Amino acid sequence: MNAATDTQARQLRGRRSGSDTRWVLSLVFILAAELVFFNLDVSSFWGGGWGSSVSMLGDGENFLFTSMIALGVMFVIFAGDIDLSVGAMSGFAGVMMAELHLGGMNIWLAVVVAVLVAALIGLIQGLVIAYFKLESLLVTLAGWFILQSAALAWEGAVPPAGFPGKFKSLLGTGTVAGSVPNQLVVFAVLALLATLIVHRTRFGRQLVLVGHNRDAAGYAGVRVSVTRVRAFVLSATFAAIAGMCIAATYNTADDNLGPTLLLPAITAVVLGGVDIFGGAGLVPGVIVASFILGWLTPGLLQDGVSDTWASIAIGVLLLGSLTVKGIADRGQGASLRDRLRGRFDTAAPSSPPTAPDTT
Amino acid sequence: MTAAPASSPSYQGRASGNEDWAVTPARLEARSISKSFGGAFALKAVSVTFEPGEIHTLCGANGAGKSTLLKVMAGIHAPDSGELILNGDHLRGLTPRIAQKHGVYLVPQEPTLMGPLSALENLFVGIVPRGRLPFSVDWKAMERSAGRFFEQVGLDIDPRLPASELSIAQQQLLECARALAHSCNVIFFDEPTSPLTAHEADVLFGLMRQLRERDFTLAFISHRLDEVLAVSDRITVLRDATVVAGFDAGTATRAKLVEAMVGHAIADRQRRRRAAPDTETVLEVTGLSAPGRFSEIDFAVRKGEVLGLAGLVGSGRTEIAESIFGLRSATGRVVLGGKPFRHRSPAASIRKGLIYLPEDRGHNGVFANVELARNITAAVVPKLQRDGPLLRPAAEYEMAGHAAERTRVVAPSLHVPIKSLSGGNQQRAMFSRWLLAQPTVAIFDEPTRGVDVSAKEDIYQIIEAISDGGIAIVMISSELEELVFVCDRVIAIYEGRIVAEVAGEDITLEKLGTLAVGETAE
Amino acid sequence: MAVSQSLERMPATRGTSPQRASALRRLARRRELLLVILTLAVFLVTVAVNSGFGQGGYIAFMLADAMPLAILAVGQTIVCLVRGIDLSVAGTLGMVAVATGFLAQDYGSSVWLMLPLALGIGIGLGFVNGLFVVFARIPPIIVTLGTLIVYQGIQELICGSQTVQTLPPLYAKLGNGDFLPDIPYMLIPGVVVTSVVALLLWRTAWGRSLYAVGSSAEAAFRAGIRVNWVLISAYVVCGMLAGLGGLAFLVHYDSADSQSGLSTSINLSSIAAVLIGGTTLTGGKGGVVGSFIAALFLEVTTQAVIVLGVPQVWDQAAVGVLLLAAILVNRYQASGYSLRQALAGSRRRAPIEHGRAQ
Repeated sequence: MNAATDTQARQLRGRRSGSDTRWVLSLVFILAAELVFFNLDVSSFWGGGWGSSVSMLGDGENFLFTSMIALGVMFVIFAGDIDLSVGAMSGFAGVMMAELHLGGMNIWLAVVVAVLVAALIGLIQGLVIAYFKLESLLVTLAGWFILQSAALAWEGAVPPAGFPGKFKSLLGTGTVAGSVPNQLVVFAVLALLATLIVHRTRFGRQLVLVGHNRDAAGYAGVRVSVTRVRAFVLSATFAAIAGMCIAATYNTADDNLGPTLLLPAITAVVLGGVDIFGGAGLVPGVIVASFILGWLTPGLLQDGVSDTWASIAIGVLLLGSLTVKGIADRGQGASLRDRLRGRFDTAAPSSPPTAPDTT
Repeated sequence: MTAAPASSPSYQGRASGNEDWAVTPARLEARSISKSFGGAFALKAVSVTFEPGEIHTLCGANGAGKSTLLKVMAGIHAPDSGELILNGDHLRGLTPRIAQKHGVYLVPQEPTLMGPLSALENLFVGIVPRGRLPFSVDWKAMERSAGRFFEQVGLDIDPRLPASELSIAQQQLLECARALAHSCNVIFFDEPTSPLTAHEADVLFGLMRQLRERDFTLAFISHRLDEVLAVSDRITVLRDATVVAGFDAGTATRAKLVEAMVGHAIADRQRRRRAAPDTETVLEVTGLSAPGRFSEIDFAVRKGEVLGLAGLVGSGRTEIAESIFGLRSATGRVVLGGKPFRHRSPAASIRKGLIYLPEDRGHNGVFANVELARNITAAVVPKLQRDGPLLRPAAEYEMAGHAAERTRVVAPSLHVPIKSLSGGNQQRAMFSRWLLAQPTVAIFDEPTRGVDVSAKEDIYQIIEAISDGGIAIVMISSELEELVFVCDRVIAIYEGRIVAEVAGEDITLEKLGTLAVGETAE
Repeated sequence: MAVSQSLERMPATRGTSPQRASALRRLARRRELLLVILTLAVFLVTVAVNSGFGQGGYIAFMLADAMPLAILAVGQTIVCLVRGIDLSVAGTLGMVAVATGFLAQDYGSSVWLMLPLALGIGIGLGFVNGLFVVFARIPPIIVTLGTLIVYQGIQELICGSQTVQTLPPLYAKLGNGDFLPDIPYMLIPGVVVTSVVALLLWRTAWGRSLYAVGSSAEAAFRAGIRVNWVLISAYVVCGMLAGLGGLAFLVHYDSADSQSGLSTSINLSSIAAVLIGGTTLTGGKGGVVGSFIAALFLEVTTQAVIVLGVPQVWDQAAVGVLLLAAILVNRYQASGYSLRQALAGSRRRAPIEHGRAQ
């Protein structure tokens, strides 16, 4: 490279095409195809005028909170961990907010408190995982169970319901200028934040390095445990915000919806091209994937397909796309044996060198 | 009744209780074997023959190709070209399993045993003796045979112990026992003595001699020239992927071996003549100890000085460095730049100007799938240019580009994943990473491991240049030649303790060689 | 020179260490024993508070209730031994429950006919999992996540909007009746399955190769073990047992619907049981007996929670807390080994450290 490095660097800077980017582009293509397909005979994307709940945009209120949860758990997955408690966390946060409000607290204050408490719980989970060196799969699994019970216990026999109109509108079913759902705005803000955090901040850079190779990150001076814990805080926070939106949309804090969103959320992350072992992937991929998945069900429903087939389609889509990805990456990807070597291990799987050290 | 598969061609008369291990003599020949990894040659048309009843040693510097040759012959790597001939039969399409069936077994440098499984089970993995019922396993037969094999290799353990609880010496003997259990008559040892004490090595050699008496075909790799001279019947020297010399037992001397191993380069290459730097001490270590690893380590390094840490693999040098850098805990005192450095961590060290280039580049150094630029900036992420909280990618790539330039990394672009680069370029990239951190003290652990010759030269030049620039350097290396070439002072560490210090003109290969194996006498 | 005395029973591969370990350490290592003691302790404490808990009928109920989970946990253990995980067991369970349920309800099929069907479906579903893990190189957690979604979908399709409600009386008898006073029929498949699998793991080459592949797939490959085949077989067996679990579920609850399997969180409880039973996710260590006892332990504990007056909602939290405790204990045991090595002054760390403490 030598003197040419400089020039080359400038020339090549724009050409950041890697398998990650290709994946995202494929997703965009799939999304476009999906939109076209579903709108071929359906009246319009905008439905009966802007903002009508018949529109596809309006469908957003059914899946945008899944996407928010997906964004949150994505941080943790980037770092090579996983957070199974996010579904229960959003349910718990919703219940907490509702019960506080029911007890007389101003609803916005209740929202803030609930989100903060959720962040705190995320912090605790992260600390337990990082400092006791336990597997994140198991700790967050336990967290799921505990939060689920706690939510059920708190809400008692009757789920709290009935929120102020403003709240319901702002975080739930309301729209901006009559067409763009408020939730979409909230999501857009979160999505932008997530993209910037992961791809344009020091924390994000270190997060991804930790996911690629936890040991090497430690040797390079990254504060690995701090980074991982922060990811858990973020995932809990995003989950809590999603919980607020769920409560606003359905006018009740039902603890049941949350946990069922875990699987779709993780599906969105993985379909979005983020490597479940950590490191690889782009946030825009997750965003696009969550829309692909989100619109799949209502789109199919409109076409007369039962939602059962829709969920089967999601599973098939997940497996199919990853199989394709696995085959495409065969030359560069980790071998099966390497993948077997560590899954959510305390000893992180590190990428093998290409050329063995010759002796 | 025995564990040996009846169809094995190599054993005769190995019935139960029969102490006579007569084996069919095997002559294994490698003819013109070539092997390259990602463009770098590990073997170039290498031809070596291994005869029965001999201990045939392979010598050479790191990267010379010795280990690769044995791995090719044991079926672990497929050769790019060349032939393997066993008693006149050509061997094709070798895998480890097929090689074992032919009687060839490699005791690897790092034992590949299964930790949670017992020694007994490890012995028989893959050749478990069947019981009477269709799929069952005959534990009793296993125990009996295991007892015999352990006895033959001199392994005195409870077979029920999980393999992870054995010492390295025991694990190696277990690997030997596995070779016998697989009825192998050709046994290769890849640098077995590096992690062993002198006594343990003697035990191993005793076993090897016994095997030799019984007409086994044995190959052995070692760096320790004294051992090599004491034990070998024949010695083949490899350098830069080719065979450069062969000696019979009587005709080899240390001097001849060294000359063959390093070539005339070392004779031509003069030690750099430098005045002892008369500068302040930037790193001072006192009483550094970690139980079981090292104890009472004292040394100091001055600005612009290159201090070498010589010793064998496992002598504790890496642990010492890691403790100073903050990756492990140790008692004792570290003073950096005149100020005591407590509560050490990698992040704190880097902030204070102390960096550490790890020994194991593959696992602890590179982020294999990450692009080159990001690998280079990995240690200085907190210092990258920002607008507010957001990073500036343009500035980052420029920084990485300049750094790569300084260490002469050769790569198609900054965006390729670092794993696509050769070992030498990866290491150059590692150097550029650490130089970006603008250190005052740099610890390099095996800086030229897994690196081709031209990259080695570059690295020596880098080290020279930065020490001229005032950075204090601690260099850990098992390659005595490079310590001789590069260092101003060398400390020898043996089994966790400092045994000697040599400076200036006193640094010679012979001196270091003896010190490294713990002999302090001249 | 040491030649071992014949081993009487326990293989060393359960992670036993030499005799010089302390008594407490030995006890903790005998996870199965510890669990039995804990289960009894919980039971006795609860009985002391509420004597109804100790009635024969209640014990029989608990034993029967724990069996679907136990059977699933045994299958899950096999997959965890090879460093995998199977989240789709609930889907397999549900699909089998409704498939066999409707056949029984609509055609009065005998339960003995349903048994091979259940196993067959399970084998097929497990095989699909294995194929994806091995050949598509997708991590097990994702594969089984995907197949869980698909299998549940199929379960819903089979149901339509109906549920299985009326089964031939034999089903209920097997599901909730006793074949000996206070010993339910349901216990038989659970015990049989556990014993057979334990035997397979302990005494067959296949079983040993599971441990080998789990502890180091690389080394197993070098030793000539057909790693791919072993992996696929692990998922097939797990699926088969999940199918059996589905039939057990149907028989025990005497009903099935589109949510069977989902609603009882049996999926994650099976993982919890595996962990509590002493098997780790890092492979190569553990056993099915522990998982079986752990399933019983979970059952007794969750029932005790209710009986002791804690609102039922907290039973899941109880499982969560127990899971946390189990992984802490597992972690302590793993780090104990490396710690001891370090203290023993062995200067050269053995390259293999299972459960590498960092």
